[in-house]
Amino acid sequence: MKVRVDAARCTGHGRCYDLAPEIFGEDEEGHCVLLVSEPAPEQLDDARRAADNCPERAIQLDAAG
Amino acid sequence: MSAPNPDPETRTVNLFDGELARCPQPVYQRMHAQCPVARAAMTNSPVISRYEDVIKGLRDPELFSSEMDMQMALGTERPMIPQQIDPPLQTRYRKLLDPHFSRKKMIELEPVIRADASALIDRFVDEGHCDFDPDFAIPLPCHAFLRLCGLPQEDLDLFLSLKNGIIRPQLETKSIDMEVNKKARVETGHRIYAYFEDVIDDRKKSPRDDLMTRLVQSEIDGHRLTRNDILDICFLLILAGLDTVTATLGCNIAYLAANPDQRRRISADPELIPNAVEELMRWETPVIAVPRVATRDVEIGGLEIEQGELVSFLIGAANLDEIEFPDAGAVDFDRERNRHLAFGSGPHRCLGSHLARMELRVAMEEWHRRIPDYAVEPGKAPRYSPGIREVMELPLVWPAP
Ligand code: HEM
Ligand code: SF4
Repeated sequence: MKVRVDAARCTGHGRCYDLAPEIFGEDEEGHCVLLVSEPAPEQLDDARRAADNCPERAIQLDAAG
Repeated sequence: MSAPNPDPETRTVNLFDGELARCPQPVYQRMHAQCPVARAAMTNSPVISRYEDVIKGLRDPELFSSEMDMQMALGTERPMIPQQIDPPLQTRYRKLLDPHFSRKKMIELEPVIRADASALIDRFVDEGHCDFDPDFAIPLPCHAFLRLCGLPQEDLDLFLSLKNGIIRPQLETKSIDMEVNKKARVETGHRIYAYFEDVIDDRKKSPRDDLMTRLVQSEIDGHRLTRNDILDICFLLILAGLDTVTATLGCNIAYLAANPDQRRRISADPELIPNAVEELMRWETPVIAVPRVATRDVEIGGLEIEQGELVSFLIGAANLDEIEFPDAGAVDFDRERNRHLAFGSGPHRCLGSHLARMELRVAMEEWHRRIPDYAVEPGKAPRYSPGIREVMELPLVWPAP
C-alpha cells in the first residue's frame, strides 16, 4: 500500500497527523508532511483512518502495484 | 399554526428559527429530503445543504467569493483579514498567520489553558450547580485568547464587553432598537481598534514572545504588515475566536447532560474525548453556515443563483448528509470516518481550528474529571440563541461533595 498526499488540496486541518502521527507530520504552517509513504502492515489501519478523516480528501491510499 | 421549517411548498427555510437553534438536526434532515437547495425566508438568499455541493462551493473561491460589501459589517471599517478577502491575497496572509496557529504552537498553550479551566471549575464545584455559559463557556475561550495574544488576564472583563458590544450589542445597550444597537456596534468597533493600537505601539517599543509581537514583526513578500492589517486581523480574531468556542462548549455539555448514557461513557473513559469532540462538532455544528457571494450566474441542484447573490453554505446540514455520513442521525463516538465541515473547508479553513480543538479537549477533560455526574436543573430547559448556537441558559446541577 502506498500513501499519497495532494499538497494542493491540503489546507492543514491536521486530522492526519493527529490520528496517525507515525505516518504524517506537520510543516511550519500546519500542512501535512508525509513521513512514511509505504506504511508497514500494522500501520495500515492508521493510514486508512487518516485518509477517512481528511475533510479535503487530500490523502489517497493505492494498492502497491 | 406557523409555517413548517423548511417549507416544502415555497422551498424556503428560516435559518433564524428558534427550533433550528435548539434542535437543528430534524430540520436538516427534512431539508435533505425536501429541498436540499432552498432560499432563506425573509432575505431570499440561496441556502445549500448537500455535503457535495457545500464542499464544491467552499473550495471554489473564484466562483463563490468571500469579498462581500458591508452587508455583513459588524462595526468594522474595512474587510476582516483573512475571512473577507479571496485568494491569492488571502493565501499570502494565511502563509503568514498559519505558523502562529499551528497545532505545535497551540499545544504549547495547553498547560496554562488547563489551569485556567481548572481554576474556573474551582469557583463553583463545591456548590453543586452553575450557569454553564457565564461561569465556564464564556470566560474560558477569553482566557485562552488573552494567553494566545500575550495580553493581561485582567483584561478579561473588558474583552467580554467588547465582544458583546460587537456580537450581541443588545446585551450591553439593554435595548432592542436597531439604530441604538448599530451605533453601539460602531462605538465598540472604535474601542477595539483603540485597544489594539495601544498594544501595537507597546510591542513595537518593547517586543515580547507573543502573538502581538510576531504580528508587528511579520512581513508579507518583504513588506511589514501595516497597522491597519494588524487591526483587521485582531478584529476578526475577537469575532471568530470567542463565541464559536463558547457555543461549542455549551452545545456539547447540553447534549451530554441530556444523554446520560453518552455522558457516562465519557466520564468513565476520557480517552474517548478527542473522538467525541469531533462527533459532537459534526452533530451540533454550532456555526451553522458560512456566507459567500456568487461572482457569476450559476446553477446548483436546479436552483438558479444570480451573480451578486449572497449564498449560505449550510455546513450544519452538510454534516447531517446521509450520503457522506452513513447513519448520520446517530451520535456515534466511535465513528471511524468523519470528514465533518464544522471548521469549514477550502482556503478559509478555520485558522483557529487547532486552538479550538485543544480548548475543547482540555475543557471536556477537566470538566468530566471534576464533575463527571451532572444534569440540567430539574424544571429548566437550555436556551439556544439563533445564528451561532450559543447555549445562553444552561443551568447545571451535580451532587456536591
Ligand atoms: C469550535 C470553535 C470554532 C468554530 C466552530 C469555527 C468555525 C469556523 C468556520 C466554519 C470558518 C470558515 C469561515 C468561512 O469559510 O468563511 C472559520 C474561519 C476562521 N476562524 Fe474559526 N472557528 C472556531 C474557533 C476559532 C478560533 C478559536 C479562532 C482564533 C483564535 C478562529 C479564527 C478563525 C479565523 C481567523 C477564520 C478565517 C479564516 C480565513 O478566512 O482564512 N476560529 N472558523
Ligand atoms: S487531514 Fe488532510 S487537510 Fe488536514 S493536514 Fe492532513 S492532509 Fe492536510
